Amino acid sequence: MQQVIVVNISDMKVSRKHGDVLTTYSLGSCVGVAAWDPKALVGGLIHCLLPLSTSSPERARENPYMFVNTGVGTMLKTLFRMGATRETVVIKAAGGANMRGDDLFHTGARNTEVLRELLTRHGFTLAAGEFGGSIPRGLTLCTDTGRVTVKTFGKEHDL
Amino acid sequence: MSRREEILARVKTVEALPSAIQQAIDLLGDADADMGELARIIEFDPGLTSNVLRLVNSPYFGGLRTITSLREAVVRLGAGQVFQLLIACGVIPCMRAEIKGYGLSPGMLLEHSVVAAVAARTVARELGLTAPDHTFTAALLSNIGKIVLGTFLEVDAGPILEIATRHGLTFEAAEEAVLGISHDEVGAALLEHWHLPEPIVFAVRWRLKPEQAPRRDLALDLVHMGSALALMTGLGVGVDGLNYRPSPVVAERLGLDAAALERILASVVTALDEVRALFTA
Repeated sequence: MQQVIVVNISDMKVSRKHGDVLTTYSLGSCVGVAAWDPKALVGGLIHCLLPLSTSSPERARENPYMFVNTGVGTMLKTLFRMGATRETVVIKAAGGANMRGDDLFHTGARNTEVLRELLTRHGFTLAAGEFGGSIPRGLTLCTDTGRVTVKTFGKEHDL
Repeated sequence: MSRREEILARVKTVEALPSAIQQAIDLLGDADADMGELARIIEFDPGLTSNVLRLVNSPYFGGLRTITSLREAVVRLGAGQVFQLLIACGVIPCMRAEIKGYGLSPGMLLEHSVVAAVAARTVARELGLTAPDHTFTAALLSNIGKIVLGTFLEVDAGPILEIATRHGLTFEAAEEAVLGISHDEVGAALLEHWHLPEPIVFAVRWRLKPEQAPRRDLALDLVHMGSALALMTGLGVGVDGLNYRPSPVVAERLGLDAAALERILASVVTALDEVRALFTA
């Protein structure tokens, strides 16, 4: 039976159970990263609020998933322990919206930039991504098929 | 009658707040008011009383979990703070409903509003500023105009978003272009209709245009930035999305840069579980 597992802000969930659906709502400036391994049939989804743990080291110790630089690696290591491999894992991501005319904070753009840099530095490829604009997004991963969808304003499409 | 006049006329037909709250508001407007009288009025409404007591006893609002009556709450927290929480409790029920026109399913407006209110207070705390008592409540009410537009007037925000996107406008500018009025002004008109205190009405009225406000106001600046942070979290955001502009003037006035903003966002999200439970129970 299909079970929907909700990933909140600054949260991460993994699953190897057939039919599990990992989903996160309300990606504003945050980025959501879905990782899935077609051989091990394991998947993970993380919802990172901020780019770098240096902005709040204490919070990062309590919850590494809040930050892109500490959360994404932690999720991938968890998936590797569950049987995923560097060679086969498929990574897709979405989010990083910005407020219209934000010349001050660029939080969404920074989240996206740090994610891209992190993946490149560690030799991972982003299989698909949808970032930016001023729209909120939801991100969903089906763990048995690896299908990743983005939902905006009630409309869903594949990523 | 123009669309703007039609909307403002419709605001005046919105049902009044529960009588206990309305009486308390009127009482607070009286300089010679007896604070014991405030407690007595509220205690006639048991649901309201228990909701206010839940808030005043919560660690988030500085309570010690030992306040058992409204009289005690007024003595220990001060009438100003109790009054603000009373307004919050009175208005929350009408913020739970779906607002179809703005793409807000049940609970989303309240969710977003609670985030904005927590964020406004957190901005002050993290920057070492003392937030005026009404900051939390004003931020909580900052999107209330959407209820009037999206529910009572069945405005569809979809075409407004298209105009905002096509012309690179903020959402409130697109609302003005289409409706002749934006939801922040409608919200302020509704709060005025409910006789809410002027400082709250003022912060809601100028939240999206703080640079145009007729006076500088710390609560307004905090509500403005609290709203911006709430949008960035994406929580409870409807079809208007993140199509609002954070004011560089307000950021400078508050001393808020990107590093401080990120630290504050982390605090807001950490505090949310506790506060959300207080308002959604």
